[in-house]
Amino acid sequence: MNRTGFVARARRTAGSARTGHEAAARAVFVGVVLAALALALAFRLARADLRPMHHDEANQAVKFGELLETGDYRYDRHDHHGPTLYYLTLPAAWLRGQHTLASLDERTLRAVPALFGGGLLLLFLPLARGLGRPAVAAAAVLAAVSPGLTFYSRFFIQESLLVFFAVGFLIALGRFVEGRRASWAVCAGVFAGLAYATKETSIIVLPAALAAVVLASLATPSPRSVETAAARPEPPRIGIGALAAGAGAALLVTFVFYSSFFRHPGGLIESIRAFDVYLGRGVGAGPHTQPFDYYLRLLSYSSSGGLVWSEGVVIVLALVGLAAAAFARNAFWPRYVGLYTLIACAAFSAIRYKTPWNLLPFYAGAVLMAGYGTAALLGGVSSRAARTLVALALLLAVSQLAVQDWRANFRYPADPRNPYVYAHTVPDFLRLSRRVTDVAALHPDRTGMLVKVVAGPHEQWPIPWYLRGMTRVGYWVTAADAGRVDDAPVVIAAQDQAAAIGTALGDRYVEEFYGLRPDVILTVFIDRASWDRLLESRSGQTGTPAGAKGWP
Amino acid sequence: MNKKTVVLTFLLAVVLAPLAAQQATEELKLKLPKPMFIGTPTNIKSANLEAVTGKSRGPFMVPAGTKLLSAKRPVTSSDSAPVIGELDMVNDGEKEGGDGYFIELGPGKQWVQIDLGAPYALHAILAWHYHSQARVYRDVVVQVSDNKDFLKGVQTIFNNDHDNSSGLGVGKDKEYIEVAEGRLIDPKGIKGRYVRMYSNGNTTNDLNHYVEIEVYGTPAK
Repeated sequence: MNRTGFVARARRTAGSARTGHEAAARAVFVGVVLAALALALAFRLARADLRPMHHDEANQAVKFGELLETGDYRYDRHDHHGPTLYYLTLPAAWLRGQHTLASLDERTLRAVPALFGGGLLLLFLPLARGLGRPAVAAAAVLAAVSPGLTFYSRFFIQESLLVFFAVGFLIALGRFVEGRRASWAVCAGVFAGLAYATKETSIIVLPAALAAVVLASLATPSPRSVETAAARPEPPRIGIGALAAGAGAALLVTFVFYSSFFRHPGGLIESIRAFDVYLGRGVGAGPHTQPFDYYLRLLSYSSSGGLVWSEGVVIVLALVGLAAAAFARNAFWPRYVGLYTLIACAAFSAIRYKTPWNLLPFYAGAVLMAGYGTAALLGGVSSRAARTLVALALLLAVSQLAVQDWRANFRYPADPRNPYVYAHTVPDFLRLSRRVTDVAALHPDRTGMLVKVVAGPHEQWPIPWYLRGMTRVGYWVTAADAGRVDDAPVVIAAQDQAAAIGTALGDRYVEEFYGLRPDVILTVFIDRASWDRLLESRSGQTGTPAGAKGWP
Repeated sequence: MNKKTVVLTFLLAVVLAPLAAQQATEELKLKLPKPMFIGTPTNIKSANLEAVTGKSRGPFMVPAGTKLLSAKRPVTSSDSAPVIGELDMVNDGEKEGGDGYFIELGPGKQWVQIDLGAPYALHAILAWHYHSQARVYRDVVVQVSDNKDFLKGVQTIFNNDHDNSSGLGVGKDKEYIEVAEGRLIDPKGIKGRYVRMYSNGNTTNDLNHYVEIEVYGTPAK
């Protein structure tokens, strides 16, 4: 073999080795992300009916039930947020053969946010090009076991859908700015429309991404070589056509959903008028008013009743990621994602009205930056021993998150000591629900047994969800409004109405009380004939009686 | 001795005999923890709930010589591995309401049991589930037996499971709100070696907690 032939063969061998190494690296990456996805879905879908329904979940479930039964939906600018959650839950109900509110259950409803919460990990995949595979793999693992992300993905509210669409918009917008292709503009428009049709807070999330992409483009230096050119986008020169295509896609998606698929065209205008309502809530003082650092404190550390919680490891790794992005050369994507996270976090923190699930849109960014920080840490150490140590420390951190994830979602899913639990229905309420259904099961009218609920609007929910299988349940705010109550075998009253109801019913009724939320109690009155039937059905039982199964 | 004297002597004996037979009593001296909350924030009122007066329960009289029997005695439970705390915290003498003073047992019906080491005549049982928040524990049942598995000779001395949801029988006692002075139960001299206390979640969560259980009594005769 001559020298030229030897060199060519050596080059082929080296090229083949590189290709093999690349294939192995890609396989490991895909394997880690798929494993994280499986873990995420397991955490999000398992025992979805374990936690009692929050009053917000119940309220939305009943609204969804109307859509399911009648096919009609109309956006209400005062409540319930956007329409995507309802429409995207329809396939889940159909797949499970549920066509009425009464036939629905928690597993169907919560599967939808759970799938979007898990699907978020798949959305991370295109970011491997900009953040690197190790960063995205680490972010996927952190997202899978994050107690906060998991908790609100098991919740029949809009948040996990909003995060999914917001991250989709973030990626599509970045790709559009990089390549200026109209297809990415349309993609960004579709995601923007979906985010807007999901929740009004998209008005914070979408501009945060727009501001971040502009700032990241400005902050990324001009390419100095061919190698660095690919890592840094050209200054954005956005064509009018692409812009119009993106805006048109956003408008179309928005109109389709808010008009209830062209049934109520005024819904789009209503969605704009809703900002007046939400602006008032956002800046006004009220029960949800919290200090600026509320979200960061909630994530960093909390301790209550012998339980300690912290997702501080994600925050610390995200800070490492932000620092790495600031000092790295030609790091458009890390800076873009980092700036989005910071801007969205600052915006949500500045709004006085705070509920814990509102942290999700920026926390998803923080998890991505934590992945980038993880990769920076692992890449920053040269010796194998040091890298092993760092990897072990990170593994411990992930384990700590996973243990908290299990605690938050399976051991203490409705416990007020759980920092993600917010004004949640207490498990004691499930006893009330079972009591009413047990009494009805023994009553001649069965599910047609009359039940009267006398309570203010805040104390009525989630009763309509739990008594959805009963056909004669009436609701009044005060005892005076309810009028005669002794025609109902069961009367449920808020504490401020219980005395009046008790006086009206006298000793013909047995009186019980049940927790609704922490420090909120409901009183249940059961007529003695029904009560005697219930006790008789339980006489002679030595174990847990029927209808009072062991708590989940 | 005339008939009148005989009758008078008999009447005197009838009146004085119970007094002579009655043991000397004394006030049970209790060491109570500091209250963690004032009043009843939830303002719970129900026919099946003991009224909260906000006042101390007053002195409780027991036979002279009554002693604390439960301190440091072996404790077992339906949940042998509490998520929070260790079982021996049930009778370690620490009754404060804050973190680090209670054990947490799993959801649903659970029990803890104290082995007094020998049968005793029981005169007072004082229990704290969790007193840093106004809450009501469900289906509180207290039983005494000489059989460690409670398979025979079981005597129920307190039961507020009014609907038999724990399957131990319908109880006539009322539910009560946890407060710092604990719930005092009068065993009325019932004899037994093992004391078992059940609960079935509470109005705030479905878990079961114990800060302290104290059992007072005298040697069984």
